[in-house]
Amino acid sequence: METKTLVGVFIVLLIVVGGLAYIAGKKAAPPATTAPPATTAPPATTAPPETTPPPMEVKNPDKLIVATIGEPETLDPAWAYDTASGEVIFNIYETLIFFDRDKVDQFIPIIAEQVPSVENGLIRDNGTTIVFPIRSGIKFHSGRELTPEDVEYSLERVLVMDRDGGPSWMLLDPLLGVETTRDSDGNLIVTWEQIDQAVEVEGNNVVLHLAKPYPITVLFQILSQTWSSIVDKQCAIEHGAWPGTPETWQDYNNPEVPPLQEADCGSGPFMLDRWEHGKQVVLKRFDDYWRGPANFSEFIIMKVDEWATRKLMFLKGDVDMAYVPAQHMKEIEGAEGIRVYKNLPTVSNAAVFFTFEVDPNSPYIGSGKLDGNGIPPDFFSDINLRKAFAYSFDFDRYIEEAWFGEAARTPGPIPQGLPGYDPNLPMYEFNLTKAEEYFKKAWDGQVWEKGFYFELLYNVGNVQRKTAAEMIKENVESLNPKFKIYVRGVEWPEYLKAMVRRQLPMFIIGWLADYPDPYNFVFPYMHSSGTFAAWQGYSNPHVDELVEELITTSDQNRRIEICRELTQIYYEEVPSFIIYQPLGRHYERTWVHGWYYNPIYPGVYAYPLWKG
Amino acid sequence: MGGMRTYIIRRLLLIIPTLLGVSILVFSVSMVFSPEERAALYVGEGGFKAAARIQAIIKKYGLDQPVYVQYYNWLKNVLQGNLGWSKSLNIPVARAFTELWPASVEIAIYAAPLIVITGIMLGRISAVHRDRWPDHISRIFAIVGWSLPTFWSAIVLLAIFYGALGWFPPGRLSPEAQSIVHSAEWVSYTGLYTIDALLNRNLFVFADALRHLFLPVLNLVIVGNAGIMRVMRSSLLEELHKEYVMAARTRGVPEKAVINKHAMRNAMIPVVTMAGVLVAGFLTGLVITETVFEFKGLGYWAAHAATQLDFPAVLAFALFSGIVFVVSNLLVDILYAYLDPRIRLG
Amino acid sequence: MAGSKEKELGRVPLRERAWFKELVFTLKRIRESPLSLAGLTIVAFFAIIAIFAPLIAPPQPGRDPYVMPRHGYLATPKPPSDEFPFGTTEGQYDMFYGCIWGTRTAFRVGLLVVGGALAIGVTLGALSGYFGGILDEIIMRITDIMYAFPGLILAMAFVTAFGVGLDNVIKALILVGWPTYARLTRAGVLQVRQEDYVEAARAIGASNARILLKHVLPNSIYPVVIVSTLDIGSMVLTAAALSFLGLGAPIGYADWGQLISMSRNWILGEAGNPFAYWHTYTIPGIFIFTFVLGWNLLGDAFRDILDPTLRRR
Repeated sequence: METKTLVGVFIVLLIVVGGLAYIAGKKAAPPATTAPPATTAPPATTAPPETTPPPMEVKNPDKLIVATIGEPETLDPAWAYDTASGEVIFNIYETLIFFDRDKVDQFIPIIAEQVPSVENGLIRDNGTTIVFPIRSGIKFHSGRELTPEDVEYSLERVLVMDRDGGPSWMLLDPLLGVETTRDSDGNLIVTWEQIDQAVEVEGNNVVLHLAKPYPITVLFQILSQTWSSIVDKQCAIEHGAWPGTPETWQDYNNPEVPPLQEADCGSGPFMLDRWEHGKQVVLKRFDDYWRGPANFSEFIIMKVDEWATRKLMFLKGDVDMAYVPAQHMKEIEGAEGIRVYKNLPTVSNAAVFFTFEVDPNSPYIGSGKLDGNGIPPDFFSDINLRKAFAYSFDFDRYIEEAWFGEAARTPGPIPQGLPGYDPNLPMYEFNLTKAEEYFKKAWDGQVWEKGFYFELLYNVGNVQRKTAAEMIKENVESLNPKFKIYVRGVEWPEYLKAMVRRQLPMFIIGWLADYPDPYNFVFPYMHSSGTFAAWQGYSNPHVDELVEELITTSDQNRRIEICRELTQIYYEEVPSFIIYQPLGRHYERTWVHGWYYNPIYPGVYAYPLWKG
Repeated sequence: MGGMRTYIIRRLLLIIPTLLGVSILVFSVSMVFSPEERAALYVGEGGFKAAARIQAIIKKYGLDQPVYVQYYNWLKNVLQGNLGWSKSLNIPVARAFTELWPASVEIAIYAAPLIVITGIMLGRISAVHRDRWPDHISRIFAIVGWSLPTFWSAIVLLAIFYGALGWFPPGRLSPEAQSIVHSAEWVSYTGLYTIDALLNRNLFVFADALRHLFLPVLNLVIVGNAGIMRVMRSSLLEELHKEYVMAARTRGVPEKAVINKHAMRNAMIPVVTMAGVLVAGFLTGLVITETVFEFKGLGYWAAHAATQLDFPAVLAFALFSGIVFVVSNLLVDILYAYLDPRIRLG
Repeated sequence: MAGSKEKELGRVPLRERAWFKELVFTLKRIRESPLSLAGLTIVAFFAIIAIFAPLIAPPQPGRDPYVMPRHGYLATPKPPSDEFPFGTTEGQYDMFYGCIWGTRTAFRVGLLVVGGALAIGVTLGALSGYFGGILDEIIMRITDIMYAFPGLILAMAFVTAFGVGLDNVIKALILVGWPTYARLTRAGVLQVRQEDYVEAARAIGASNARILLKHVLPNSIYPVVIVSTLDIGSMVLTAAALSFLGLGAPIGYADWGQLISMSRNWILGEAGNPFAYWHTYTIPGIFIFTFVLGWNLLGDAFRDILDPTLRRR
C-alpha cells in the first residue's frame, strides 16, 4: 500500500470526524467552555433559593427527566419489591387508596370511591370486613374500563403468585393469616377457597375478608403501595399471567419469571413507552387519565452510573432531578438553579447486632473458647458485654464522619417520623469508662482478664457500615490490649450465607420499611421469629406478646404505649443497638414545582409535578 | 478448493468441543461455592428479608444437586437458546445480546480498520527510515502504546476532551439525538446510528453519533496499533534484506516501487497472523473502553454484570468472545493460505 | 552402581551447564542494549520502592499495612501538599502511601501470578512432553480451550465465579496464564528428550522422575522462565484492569488500578479549573505505566535472546 494514500485516508478521516463532531457540538449542547452559564446569571453567592427567577430557560419543558442509579427488576407489581421497580410501577399503576401527599397514615381514595371507615359503614364485623366501593369511569391504558372484577383479580393474583422473597406476605398476613403459601419444602398450605373468599365482588363493591383483626392504618399502608396495584385482568392474561381460574392457580404459584415483566396493564397517569434495559425507562402521558392528563408528555427515568456524568447533566439542566450520593453533596452545594431539600427522615435504619448463640463451627470465632484467641459460641448472651459494646460506640462522631451529620439517632428500632417514636426515651451514649466497667463485669471478669478475638464482617460496597465496623474495632481495642477484633469485608453472598448459618458473632445490617408502621420495625428487630432476632437467637416472651398485640389492636393510644415499652426493653436488654437512621436529601432544578416528601414513596411521583 | 472446504468444516467442528470444554471449566469453578452462596445471587443484595426462604430457593433451582446434574440442566437450556437470566439488566441474556450488539459493532467497524491502517503505516515508516528519527519516534510510540493501561488512557482522554474542552461527551448519543432516534419517523435499519443516520438522511444524528464514537475509537487505536506496528516493522526489515529485493534494486527499480510492489506484500503475511491476537486485545479493550466512556454495548454490560456477580451474563459473554476469537482465527488462517500460496492446508 | 555413574554424568562444570551459559548470554545482551538497561533500571527502582515501602511510607502500627490510611472522610480529593506529597483521593486516602504500597501489591500480584502459572504450566508441560500419549492429548486439549479466550475476559469469568477480591484475581490470572508455559515447556522437553545424555541416563536405568528433574527440565526450562518474567508487566496490567472494573482489591486497598478507579468521579474537575483533581488519576497512572514499561523494555531484550536467528549456536 502507498504510504501517501494511507496518510491521506487517515487525515481525511480525522478532518471529517473532527468537523462533524464540531458541528454536532454546536448544534447540540454548546460546549461548557464557550457558554459558561455563570456569565448570564448572578453570582452564586447571592442566590437565595426560590426567590430568584430561574437563571436558565427551562430545558425540555414538556418532559420530566430523572437521573438515578438503580435499574428496575421488573414492572410486574405482584413481583416487584425493590424501590427502582416501585418508582416506575407507581407512576403506571394505581391502587384502591393512596397516601394523602406527604402523610404516611392518612389516605385518599383513588380507585375506591371512598376510604373505608367505621363511621361511613365500610368497615364492619369488628374490623374484619372492609368494603371498597369501586369508582366508575376509570380507563386502563388499553382503553378498557376498570371493573370490580379487575380489582378482585389483581389482589388475588398477589396471593396466588407469592414468589420467594417477594412482597405477597404483606397481603397474605391480614387476608389469610399466613405469611407464605408454602411450607419449607415448597408444598402448598393454603387452599383456593381461602384465596377466593378473602377478596370478593359484591355488586359494585370489592370486599376484603380479613383472617384476623388488623390495625386499619397498616392495612391501608399495604393497600396503598405497588404490590396492591390494580391491573387490567384481560391485559395480564394476554401477557401470560394467571388466567384467574381456580383449577390452575397452583401452576402460577412461585413462578420463575414475572409474567408482567415489561407489560403495562395499568390505569395510572403515565404509560410505558419503552424500557431500555440498563439505560432508561421512558413513560409517556396517558391522555385519558381519569383525574386529567399529567403535565408532562414524557417522564424519563435515566440510569446514569457515573457520578461525574450525572453531575454534569444535572448542572447543565439536562436532567431535572438527580441522585446525589452523600459524599458528593458538597459539589452541588450553592449550584445555580438547583433546589435542595435536606434532613428528610427516611423509613430505614441500621444496627449492630449480637448473636446470642453462634454456630460452634463458625469460622469467625477463633478458637471457640474464652482463651484470648477466640470467643465461646454464647459469648454475647452476657448482657454486660452487649452493654459494654454499646457504650464503646461513638455515635456522634460516627454520624458526623460517616454521614456528614445527615443521619439521626433513635432510642430504639422505631425511626423518627413514625408513630411510637419517642426521642425522650434513654439511649446509650459514648462512654469508655462505663464500657470498661461492663467489660470487667462480663463473664465474671474472665473477658477482661483473658481477652477475646472474633471477626466482625460487613458486606463490601457499603462505606457507612465499614466505617462503623472500623470504629467499633478502634474503640474496643483501645480499652484492653487483649481485645482483638478483625474487621473483614466480604461479598454479599458470603455475608448472607454466614448470617443464615448463624456464624456471625456480631453483624451490622440495615432495614428498609415495607410499610411505615412501627410494627414493621419492632417485629424484625425484637420478635423471636423476626428476621434479625431469629438470626440472633434473641427471645423474650413478654416482648413477643407486646409485638403481637401491636398488630392486632387498632387503638392508636395503646399502640403508642406498646411502642414505648418495647423501646424501653430494647434499651435494657440491648439485643442490638441502632447506629443510624439516614436523613435523606432531594435535589431538583428550581424550575420543577409541586414536589413533596413522602418517606415511603419508592421514587419520584410525577403526576403532581410541573415545570416552569 | 475441495481441500479448503474440508479444512474449514473441520475447523468449525473443532470449535464445538473447545466451547464445551470452556463451559465445563467455568461452570465447575462456580460450583466451588456453597448452595447458600449461590442462592444469595438469586435473592440479591439487601434481599435478606428473603433469607428465611433460602432453603426453598436452593430447592427450586436445584442448587444442591450434584454438579453434573446442574451442568446438564444448564447445558440443556443453553442448547435450547435459553442462556439464562441477566440480573444486571433484568432481561434474558439472549435478548441482552440482541439489544447491545450494535453499539459494540459500531465501535468495531471504525476502530478495527484504523488500528490496522495506522499500525501498518507506522511500521512501514519505521522500517524504511530505520535507525533515524521517524523510526525512533514510531518505536517509542509503539512501546508506550503497549505499556499504556487502556483504562487510564481512556480516563485521561475523557478528562481532556470532555472535562476541559467539552468536545466529546461520553455515552452513545446526546439526549436530543436520542429523541430523534426514538421518534416515529426514524427507521432503524441496522441499529448502528452512523449508518442509520445516513440512510435516514439526518446529518445531525450522524454527526452526533460520530462525536460520541471519536474518543472510544481513538483510545482503542492508541493502545491497539502498537502490536501491528512492531510486527510490521520487523517483517518489512527482514523482507528488505532478502535477495529478491536486492536484485530488484540492482536492476534499477526505484526504491519506492521496490517497497510497494515487492516487499510490502510479503511483509504483510506475519501481520495477518497477528489478527487473532488483535481480536483478543480488541475484545478486552472494548470491555474497558465501553465502561469508561459509558458506551453501553456488550463490553459495558459484561463489566457491570461481573461486578454484580451476574454469572449467566459473564459466562455468555465469555462464550461469545470465544466464538468471535475462534472464528476470526479461522478466517485468518484462510486468508493466510490465500496470501501465501506456499502454505498447504493439512 | 547406576546412581554413581549417573551422578558423574550430571557433574558438569558450572561454566558448561546450559542454564549458566544462557544466563551469561542474557546478561551480555542486556548490557549491550540501552533500552533494556533502562528497563532493568526501572524495574530495579520499583523493587527498591517495594522493599523499603515500610520506611518510605511507614504504616500505622497494628493496622494492615496494605490498607491506605484515611485523613478524614470528606469525598473531595485534596491536591498535593507538604503533608501529602501526592495529595489525597476520594475519601481522603493518602495517595503517596497508596502508590508506594501499591508497588508491593503490583510485585505481589506479578510474582504470584507468574510464579503460580509457571509452576502449573511447567509441571503439566513437562509431564505432557515427557510421557506423551493420552496425558499429552488431554493437557494439550485443555490448553487449546484456554487459548480460545481473550485473557482478561476469561479472568473476568473466573473472578465472577470466585467472587470479587484481589486474591481471587490472582487465582483467576494463574488459571488463565499457565497454558502458555505448559506449551513452551512441552516443546522444550520434546526437543531435549531425544538428546544423547538423556538417552544415556535412561540406558543406565535412571527413574523417569530422576531423568525429568535432573536432565530434561534443567535443559529445557530456560526459555519458559525468560518468557514468564516478561509477562509480569502484562499480568500486572490485567490485574489493574480488573481492579479498575471493581473486581479486584476492596476499596481503600493500596492498589494502583483501584486508585485510578477511585478517580473516575473526579475527571471533570471544577468550574474554571478542569484539571483540579489531575493528581487523582495522573499519579497512579504514571506508576502503572512506568512499571509495565520497565518490564516491557526488559522483555524486548529477552525477546531477542530467544529469537533463534539471532542466537550464537
